[in-house]
Amino acid sequence: MKTEVRRTSIRGSSIRTKANLTGWLFISLAVIMIVIFYFYPMLQALLLSFKSGTGMNLDYVGIDNYKRLFSDKTFTTALTNTFIYLIVQVPVMIILALFLSVLLNSRQLKFRGFFRTAIFLPAVTSLVAYSVIFKYLFATDGMINKLFMSIQLIQTPIEWITDPFWAKVTIIIAITWRWTGYNMIFYLSALQNIDQSIYEAARIDGASATRQFFGITIPLLKPIILFTSITSTIGTLQLFDEVVNITQGGPGNATLSISHYIYNLSFKYTSDFGYAATVSYSIVVIIIILAFLQFKLAGDKK
Amino acid sequence: MNKLKTTGTYIFLILAAFISIFPFLWMLISATNTSADVTKGKLIPGSYFFDNISNLFSSIDIGTALLNSAKVSITTTLLSLVIASLAGYGFEIYRSKAKDVVFSILLLSMMIPFAAIMIPLFQMFAKLSSVAPAIGIDTLSGVILPTVVTAFLIFFFRQSTKMFPKELLEAGRIDGLSELGLFIRVYAPTMKTTYAAAGIITFMASWNNYLWPLIVLQSPENQTIPMLISQLGSSYSPDYGMIMTAIVISTIPTALVFFFMQKHFVAGMTGSVK
Amino acid sequence: MKKLLTILLASFMLLTACSSNSDKSTNTSNEGTNGGSTGKKQEITVWAWDKAFNIAAMETAKGIYAQKNADVTINVIENAQDDIIQKLNAGLNSGTTKTLPNIVLIEDYRAQSFLQAYPDSFFALDEFINAADFADYKIGPTSFEGKQYGVPFDSGVAGLYVRTDYLQEAGYTVDDLQDVTWDEYIEIGKAIKEKTGKDMLTQDPNDLGLIRMMIQSAGAWYLQEDGKTPFIANNAALEDAFNTYKNIMDANIVKVISDWSQFVGAFNSGDVASIPTGNWITASVKAEAEQSGKWAIVPFPTLANTASSVHASNLGGSSWYVMNVDGKEAAADFLKETFGSNVDFYQTLVTEIGAIGTLKAAAQGEAYTAPDEFFNGQTTIADLASWTEQIPNVNYGMHTYAVEDILVVEMQNFMNGTELETVLNNAQTQAETQIR
Repeated sequence: MKTEVRRTSIRGSSIRTKANLTGWLFISLAVIMIVIFYFYPMLQALLLSFKSGTGMNLDYVGIDNYKRLFSDKTFTTALTNTFIYLIVQVPVMIILALFLSVLLNSRQLKFRGFFRTAIFLPAVTSLVAYSVIFKYLFATDGMINKLFMSIQLIQTPIEWITDPFWAKVTIIIAITWRWTGYNMIFYLSALQNIDQSIYEAARIDGASATRQFFGITIPLLKPIILFTSITSTIGTLQLFDEVVNITQGGPGNATLSISHYIYNLSFKYTSDFGYAATVSYSIVVIIIILAFLQFKLAGDKK
Repeated sequence: MNKLKTTGTYIFLILAAFISIFPFLWMLISATNTSADVTKGKLIPGSYFFDNISNLFSSIDIGTALLNSAKVSITTTLLSLVIASLAGYGFEIYRSKAKDVVFSILLLSMMIPFAAIMIPLFQMFAKLSSVAPAIGIDTLSGVILPTVVTAFLIFFFRQSTKMFPKELLEAGRIDGLSELGLFIRVYAPTMKTTYAAAGIITFMASWNNYLWPLIVLQSPENQTIPMLISQLGSSYSPDYGMIMTAIVISTIPTALVFFFMQKHFVAGMTGSVK
Repeated sequence: MKKLLTILLASFMLLTACSSNSDKSTNTSNEGTNGGSTGKKQEITVWAWDKAFNIAAMETAKGIYAQKNADVTINVIENAQDDIIQKLNAGLNSGTTKTLPNIVLIEDYRAQSFLQAYPDSFFALDEFINAADFADYKIGPTSFEGKQYGVPFDSGVAGLYVRTDYLQEAGYTVDDLQDVTWDEYIEIGKAIKEKTGKDMLTQDPNDLGLIRMMIQSAGAWYLQEDGKTPFIANNAALEDAFNTYKNIMDANIVKVISDWSQFVGAFNSGDVASIPTGNWITASVKAEAEQSGKWAIVPFPTLANTASSVHASNLGGSSWYVMNVDGKEAAADFLKETFGSNVDFYQTLVTEIGAIGTLKAAAQGEAYTAPDEFFNGQTTIADLASWTEQIPNVNYGMHTYAVEDILVVEMQNFMNGTELETVLNNAQTQAETQIR
C-alpha cells in the first residue's frame, strides 16, 4: 500500500512537467494558426496604414492617413451608421431573444419544439441569400408593401430601400430577423441549466413573475448575456454582406457600414490599400474600447 | 388573468414564428413560379419549379459552386474541430498560468474585424502564390486556411471541457493510455454533443462565408455558392423564380445539417454556456 | 490515435483535393501559353458583363475570328461589372498574373483609374489599331501618356426615349420634344402626369447618371481637365444640373427605383413616359414587343441656363483592354481583326444586338441607315450616330465614382433644402480630402 502511494507521487511530479509540455503541444497548432492568420496580418495592416497611393504605387506618408480620417465625411457617415445599427439593433435583439427564450422555457407551453425551430430557422440561411430575399421583399413594389397595403396598415408604399431613414430600418429589421433565434438558443440552453427549485422557492416567497425574471433569471444569465452582446457587437461592427446585397450602402451612403467603406476604398474606387488599412484600424480601436466598457459594466454590477 | 396571459403568449409566439417563417415561405413559393408571377406578388405555389431547376442548371454552373462550397465547408469543419478541440482540451486540462495568458491573448483575436486584416491576408496569399500556387490566391485551400481556427471555437471547447468529468482521465491513465490516447479514446467520445454543436456552427459559418472567398477566389470555376447568389441577385435581367430556386438549393445543406443534429446542438450549447 | 490520424489525414487529403483544382487551371493556362509557340491551341480569356449586349458582341466577334483562326480558343466569361472591378484590383495588387484574363472590358469612366494605378499591367495597342479611326471622345479615356491602350467599343450616346402614345394622350406630338431644354421637358412631364397618371421618368437616388449626362452635354465634368483636381464648387454646368435635377424631382413626375431590374421593369410595364439614357437601353426597350410602334428617340435635352450645353451626351460606354500577360499578342490580334477595324462586323452588331460602335468607318454601312419598325420607322441608328459626333469630349479622370458617392449624399442634402452653394462647397472639400 505504502509503496504504491510513494510511486504514484513520484510519477505524479514527473508527469507534471511532462504534462505541462504535452499541454503546449495540444494548443500549439491553434496558437500558430491564430498568430499567422490574425496577429501577423494585424501588424501588417498597421504598417500599411502609414502608406498611401494608388494600386501598386504605395509610399510612406507617416500619419497623413490618420489626419485624413478625421476630415473624411464618408468615414464619419459610415461610423455613425454603424453606431446607429449597434445602439438600436443589439439591445432590441437581445431583449427580444431573452423574452422569447423565457416564454419557450415554460414547461406548460405547447408546441415548444415547433416554436423553437421556427424562430431559429433564419439562422440557417446564408447572409447573402437572406439579403437577396430581403431586397426583393422590401422593394418599393415588393411583397411587404403589398401586404401592408392590403391590410390597410399604410396608404402609400414605404420606400424601404430608397429612403435614407427607412433603408436603415430595413437593415436593422434584416439583422434582427437573422440573429434573434440564434441568440435565443444560447439563452434557452442557459435557462435549462437553472435549477427549478430556485424559482419554486421564490414563488413560495411570493415573488411575481417579473420579480423572478429580474431577480433570478437575469443575474444567472449575466455571463451569457455579456457573451452574446459582445459577439453581436463585433458582428454588427463587421456588417458587410447585408448592406452590400440589400442597399449597396445607399441611398447616398445612408446605410454604408465601415467594412463596406473599406471594401469600396480597396476595390471600388481607384484602390488605396493604405488608407483602407487606416480605416480598418479604427474599428479595432473601437471594438477594444467597447469590449472593455461592456466588461466594465458587467463587472460593476457584480 | 392567467388565461389572458397564456393567450397573449401564444399570440406573440405565433407572430414571431410567422415573421421568422414568412421569408422562407415566400422563397419556396417563388421558386415554384415564373419570374413574372414573382414580380406580381403571387403567393400561391405554382408548377414552374422543375423549369426553374432546369434553367438554373443549364444557364449557370451551380453544380460546380455547390461542389466547391461542399469541399470548403467539410474540410474547414473537420480541420477546425480537430485543432480547436485539441486546443480547448489543452488549455483546460493542462492548465497553467502561462497558458491562461496565451488563452486571453488568443481571445483578443475575436475582436479583430475581418475587414481589418483582409488586405494583409490577401497580400500574404498573393505572395504565397508565387511560392506555392496550390494554396495561394484563387484556390479553395486559400479560402480554407485562414478560416480554420477561430478563437471562438477554442473558447467554446474550453468552456465545455470544464464540464468534462476528469476522473475519466485518471482512470484512463491507470489503464496505460498515452496523453494523446486519453484525448482520442476518452475525451472525444464523451464530448460528442460538443463536437456536434461546434461542427454545426463551423459548417454554417463556412458554407455562408462571402467576403473572403469573394476576394481570394478569381476564376469562375472556383466560385462558391454565396458568390453565385450575390451575382444572380445583381444581374441585369434577374429571373426571380430561378434566383429563388438557387437560394432554396443553397439553403438545403445548412438546414439539413441543423435539423439532423438539432438535439446535439442544443445539448452541446448547454454544456458550453454553463 | 488511429482515429485522430485518420481524420487529420482525411482533412489534408480534402485540402489537397481543394488545391488540385487550381493546379489544373494553372496547367491549362500554361498549356495555352506554351501552345502559342508550339503551334497548338492558343486560349484567350475575356471578362465582360451584360449577356444581352457586351457578351453578345464578344461572342459575335469570336465567331467571325474563328472562321479564319481555328487554332485560337476564345473563352468569354460573364461577371457582374462590380465583380470585374474587384477582381482586377485584387489580381493586379496581388502581383500574380495567374488569375488575370487576356482581354477585359472596362467602363470608360473607370479606365484612367486602372491605366494610371497599374501602368505596366496593360498592353499598348498602337501597333495594332489606329486611334484616329475611332470617335474622338473615346480616345481620352482609353489612352494614357500618349499610348493607346483600349480598343474603343460602344458609344454611350444618350437619347431621350419617349412614349408617343402617352404624348398624344396629353395633347403633344414627338415634335414637341425635339431639341427641348430640361425646363420644357419638365412642363410636358407635368402635363402627361396630369392627363395619363404616368410618371415621366424613373430615378435611382444612388445613381447620378442623369447629372453626368447633363454636365457632359455642356462639356464639363466632376474633375478639372487634369483628371485629378475636383471641380465641384463654382462649376456652372454642375450647378445648373443640380438645380434642374431638383426641379425634376420636385415636379412629382418621377418614379423612384433602387436597381437595374426595377428600372427596366418600369418602362417595360408602361409605368413611365420617357427614358433619358444611353442607347444601349434599346435592346431592353424592344424586349417588350407589345410596345412596338409606341416609342421614339429624340435628342437629349439641354441645360436651359448653360450656353455650352448641346443636344448630345453620353452615358457609360466601355472599351476592350489587353492585359500585359502571356498571350497578349494573340489577344491584340484578335481585337485588331474584329473590334479594331472590321466594318462588316459592326453592321452585324447593329442589326443583331443594337450595339453602336465608335469606329468611324462603320457609320457609312447599310445597317446604320436602316429604319426601325419598333420606333415607327425612325432611322434610330443613323440619328444616334449623328449625335455621337457632337458629344463634347471631356476627361473623365480617375475618380468619377468616388466623387459621385460624395455627390449622392450632398444631393440628398440639397433636396432637403440646403443651399446649393453650401452643398457644392461641402462636396468640394470632401473630394479634396478623399482624392489624393
